[in-house]
Amino acid sequence: MIVGELARADLTARLTGDGLRLRTGPVVTRIRSRLSSVAEGIALHYADYGVEEAEAFADFHVRIAPPRSIRRWFKPQVRFDFDGASPFHPLPADQAFPMLEWGLNWCVSAHCHQYLIVHAASVEKGQRALLLPGAPGSGKSTLCAGLVSRGWRLLSDELTLIDLATGKIVPLPRPISLKNASIDAIRVFAANATLNPPVHDTAKGSVAHMKAPTDSVLRASETARPRWIVLPRFRVGAPARLEPLPRAHAFMYLAEHAFNYDVHGRRGFECLADTVSACDCFEFEYGALGEAVTLFDALTRAA
Amino acid sequence: MSVSSSALRWRGVPRDAIAWRTWEGEVVVRNERTGSTHLLAPHAGRILLTLIEADAALGLTEIAARLEGDLAGRLAEQQSAALDEVLSEFERLGLAEPA
Repeated sequence: MIVGELARADLTARLTGDGLRLRTGPVVTRIRSRLSSVAEGIALHYADYGVEEAEAFADFHVRIAPPRSIRRWFKPQVRFDFDGASPFHPLPADQAFPMLEWGLNWCVSAHCHQYLIVHAASVEKGQRALLLPGAPGSGKSTLCAGLVSRGWRLLSDELTLIDLATGKIVPLPRPISLKNASIDAIRVFAANATLNPPVHDTAKGSVAHMKAPTDSVLRASETARPRWIVLPRFRVGAPARLEPLPRAHAFMYLAEHAFNYDVHGRRGFECLADTVSACDCFEFEYGALGEAVTLFDALTRAA
Repeated sequence: MSVSSSALRWRGVPRDAIAWRTWEGEVVVRNERTGSTHLLAPHAGRILLTLIEADAALGLTEIAARLEGDLAGRLAEQQSAALDEVLSEFERLGLAEPA
């Protein structure tokens, strides 16, 4: 069963009751919330995702709920609960769905140490994965959204999972987080993309999520071999330009942007080194999504 | 270390105490003892690998002699200053030590 097959009343009953056991890639999360905005966000963004039955094992148990204080009546807030603890400060109530998304990212990045986890978007074409590591504001999510709206498969927007045994990328396709100007940029570039209304005044500015393409969700069990590592940098008006990046520098960048490189010790080093060895590495500056997509499509044809 | 490294003999850490990869001449090395990972420029990488592959501690002239091509030439021109600097840095990073 998938979320989209649940009647709205059934979805709400699960969220307010024992929890919705939602499968995203290799992860099952039991989500509970009484907030309608959370139910709406899940109905919109997770319609294609699998639902596990009530007794099924869940990797994570989370809840989005108002804090137990007077703040539930005055400037309402929400908190993210994980296994009964609240690891983050509460946020304004209108940020409930973004908080769920950020919390789900944290669940994976802080706990899924069966993978080497890199802070990178990743997309696939022809069974070859393009990794887009980057700091916030680099334009990686915008580029990722642009590519998946033009036929690339979404592997992950935020957390690239590398299988330590095989070196392959394990998909974790979830909504793509767009911020500020990139929201309208994607609305213009991908008119058919599904975005929720922006939530303003978050710590990251205005935030909207783009629904992952259905095909990417359905193929979430198909791993892909890393083939390219590209460090994107968005600059207004810049022509698309791809410059070779020495592999040793790509390695250091990935290591610095991995969540658990140190956790894995030598095995993490070898896994990351194998990943870099298998890839052509570039720095990429762009100012227009159309140009960027054309360039990456050409890259796949040349390889 | 106050003694000039030019007066010393040097040995690398045991081979199993580091992991490394070389790409386009540059070396990325992970020090198992510290858990740190370092990016070494080509000349520094070659010096480290020379120490690692040696059976015994080496003096500066022996290290320079084992380096090949342009690198050896560059070291000769700059006398031993560059080698001193690299070896001192290796000592700080725990990648080599005076014998």
